[in-house]
Amino acid sequence: MKPDIRWLDDPQTFRVGQLPAHSDHRIYANENEMERGESSLCQSLNGKWQFMYSVNPASRPVDFYREDYPADHFQEIQVPCHIEMAGYDKIHYINTMYPWEGKMYRRPAYALGADSAQEGAFSKADYNPVGSYRKIFDLKEGLRGKRVCICFEGVEQAVYVWLNGQFVGYAEDSFTPSEFDLTPYIKDQGNLLAVEVYKNSTAAYLEDQDFFRFFGIYRNVTLYAKPKLHVEDMWVKPCLLEDLTRGSLDIQMRISRAVSETEQEETNGRVKIALTDPSGCYGTAQTGVIAEAEGNASLAVAVSMPIDGSVHLWDHADPYLYRLVVMLVDSQGNVTEVATCAVGFRRIEIRDKVILLNGKRLIINGVNRHEWSADSGRCITVKEMEYDIECFRRNNINAVRTCHYPDQIPWYDLCDINGIYVMAETNLESHGSWQKVGIEPSWNVPGSVPEWKEAVIDRARSNFETFKNHPSVLFWSLGNESYAGDNIEAMQRFFKDKDDGRIVHYEGVVNNRAYEDTISDVESRMYATPAAIEEYLENDPKKPFILCEYMHDMGNSLGGMKSYIDLIDRYPMYQGGFIWDYIDQAVWAEDTVTGRKTLRYGGDFDDRPSDYEFSGDGIMFADRTEKPAMQEVRYYYGLHE
Amino acid sequence: MDCTNKMKVIVGDLTIGMRGEGFSYIFSGAKAGMESLVRDGKEWLYRPPMPTFWRALTDNDRGNGFGLKSGMWMSADRFMQCVGIAVAVDDRAVEVPLAPANNVYGGDVEAERATVTFVYRTITVPATKVTVVYEVYARGDIHVRVHYEGREGLPELPVFGMRFIMPTCADKYRYEGLSGETYPDRMAGGIPGVYEIEGLPVTPYLVPQDCNMHMQTKWVEVYRSKVLDNTCKEERQSGIRFFAEEGNNIAFACIPYTSLELENATHQEELPAARRTVLTVLGAVRGVGGIDSWGADVEEAYHISAAQDIDYGFWIGGIEA
Repeated sequence: MKPDIRWLDDPQTFRVGQLPAHSDHRIYANENEMERGESSLCQSLNGKWQFMYSVNPASRPVDFYREDYPADHFQEIQVPCHIEMAGYDKIHYINTMYPWEGKMYRRPAYALGADSAQEGAFSKADYNPVGSYRKIFDLKEGLRGKRVCICFEGVEQAVYVWLNGQFVGYAEDSFTPSEFDLTPYIKDQGNLLAVEVYKNSTAAYLEDQDFFRFFGIYRNVTLYAKPKLHVEDMWVKPCLLEDLTRGSLDIQMRISRAVSETEQEETNGRVKIALTDPSGCYGTAQTGVIAEAEGNASLAVAVSMPIDGSVHLWDHADPYLYRLVVMLVDSQGNVTEVATCAVGFRRIEIRDKVILLNGKRLIINGVNRHEWSADSGRCITVKEMEYDIECFRRNNINAVRTCHYPDQIPWYDLCDINGIYVMAETNLESHGSWQKVGIEPSWNVPGSVPEWKEAVIDRARSNFETFKNHPSVLFWSLGNESYAGDNIEAMQRFFKDKDDGRIVHYEGVVNNRAYEDTISDVESRMYATPAAIEEYLENDPKKPFILCEYMHDMGNSLGGMKSYIDLIDRYPMYQGGFIWDYIDQAVWAEDTVTGRKTLRYGGDFDDRPSDYEFSGDGIMFADRTEKPAMQEVRYYYGLHE
Repeated sequence: MDCTNKMKVIVGDLTIGMRGEGFSYIFSGAKAGMESLVRDGKEWLYRPPMPTFWRALTDNDRGNGFGLKSGMWMSADRFMQCVGIAVAVDDRAVEVPLAPANNVYGGDVEAERATVTFVYRTITVPATKVTVVYEVYARGDIHVRVHYEGREGLPELPVFGMRFIMPTCADKYRYEGLSGETYPDRMAGGIPGVYEIEGLPVTPYLVPQDCNMHMQTKWVEVYRSKVLDNTCKEERQSGIRFFAEEGNNIAFACIPYTSLELENATHQEELPAARRTVLTVLGAVRGVGGIDSWGADVEEAYHISAAQDIDYGFWIGGIEA
């Protein structure tokens, strides 16, 4: 397999050599490790890496991945970190316009016709910065002798990966994990990992979120080893009977085995599954030999576990979690891997045009949340996530929309634990392609352009496969402000085919009602006036209504919330909404005139064109202190808990 | 308060002064307002208080073009003409201009009550008038009554009230009202109580804008230690109290900046060094809105029509020990 820089220009090439997306369950070598929360199978590669910035592909160090490449002139960068925040490239904030507006003329490949491939649009651009990363590492003891994979939790926006001089793969989708199998090339010591990150590719058309435009390795990089037997994926589906007290757990797993000459005799094994309750005692539910792996390299295991007695439901008020523990035992009876994930029993459905959670009408007291830190941009820590969850609880916020991309995995765990309902949004926003002077979709992506279909379905798939086990995820969202066409319809179909009961959400279909019956289970609007909502609800509404964005809290705002909250008591089909948004996006800098530490926003970095302070719409200031309007949120969100 | 039931009134050539136990006030025709408010030996006025018609635009105001529609109130806030002054002592009118009519007053005049009225004409088109009446009582309390004359054809107001600029920054202020920063359309979450605010915080919105409003307030006390008086060797904290009329509320904001100072800055650090206390005591406040920040108006109930009269009043006095 040889890398090709023209993949940057081709919307049909978005994953090469990448492992399939899978559930975000944790793996450990044994039960002790699980109890300590430390896995000897994992090795972080975060830290200082060698780094070279190039302003365009033509000037990049093409051979930097080679083991004999003299990298003495390379600089250093911290991983994870945005390349702009490290000072190599300009910090730029812009809302709907594509970031190259006014600087180069671009159109998406094939959007103007099947013969319009737009070759070289990114690979030959004068400005398309490249970050060339090198990391030399030894394998930790726990990973040696095993299959070894690498997980990039987030790299923006297109990435090529080599290990020890050999090309491993290519990935797009900046906000979901990208994983590659390193087994063929890995050594115990002296490995050279080389990662080439491009600021823009055709993915840029799909990642036009209203935020600071960054690139680089901005989330964790982790090696993990697969023991002889390994849970590749598990889908743990809690099922509830109509009475909401009896239930079962449907589990589908994909288990892989190491195939090597020396280990041939050890490839058989057993799977033990246990469900535990929060008191931690094992065996309260089911333990036992479930299946025996026969000689296949990859094995599908399907189990249905009835739950004894009545099921303890999960919701915001009582986020009761069980834990599923899967133990893989080899033919000698040794535990080779322990895989685990949280399980919550809840039922989400639409009945009589009303969204019900566990049989009760769902009220969304929600907020949109970008991942943000004024120190480090979208590269945030678990500490900041925990702070945010605490802030939600304190202020009666019960729901979050992960605008407009999947967040880091621990955020979903925290939402499970704290009973925060999640609208899990797929990484898709293309408003620059149709919101120009008003709504102007003369060319737009993904639209109905066939060459863009697989890329957006892949994004939906990565979102689904990664987060499917989280009870907190009640909604799948197809993306934000990306108009509507056949491709978004296909994303809807992808989620519907999974038949997991969750509600599929998409707002943009209101701009193209031709797809109304095939896109979005809910009527979702943004910034609709209370009067417009009433008008919808008074005129034979087809779907339950939610506001995916409302109460635009830019600066000193959030007046008139009562008019929205009053609708909850008047219309059962009005189910609340998500405030725009959680936190101001601004960057700490030192003011050169006063020497004061100060918050900078769009345009403050000579970045043009910009939308300036429009990034500051939070109910939190960028430094994570509450804006004065928060007491209003706390009050109104406390009325319908 | 232990006080006599009479105060001294000094009918000067250009000013009229009132002095009593623990206070001395000067009203000036030339300066078109109350020039000096000394209580307990401390000056509380930097420049005469004037009517205020402007708030630094919020992001929502900018988004919905409020400045384009109502911008003339910004210059009206900055420039206005005093077109009438009236003085009365114990309900007997005192001729204005004071000199030479004041020659009839031999020495100090004693009074239970003295009233000074200023009439201001706005530079708006069409123009309108504001009448401010200071009613000073012998015990030192001042009843301020403010009347805005509604005028058809004028754009909506962002605020209406009186602005007091004090010579130095306050140490703190206390008030009885709602917790936090509140506006007419954002005060349901405010919890009634007595609050003490250290310093003069400015809500650090990314772009400085109107902030720190407090609705439904019974009273606010401002405490200062620093003075400009060169003879002052030792700082001593003392306070002044602004309070609502019986059964009414006031709205106020207490920050170190005028609306125009806030309006000028694009970042917090561009605001000038804090050196004064700017207390606005308001009779009308426009809501902030929240539907969106690119066009949606504030809900109708929270607009301030300039076509309607606005009348309100409040008291200024000392802090009861």
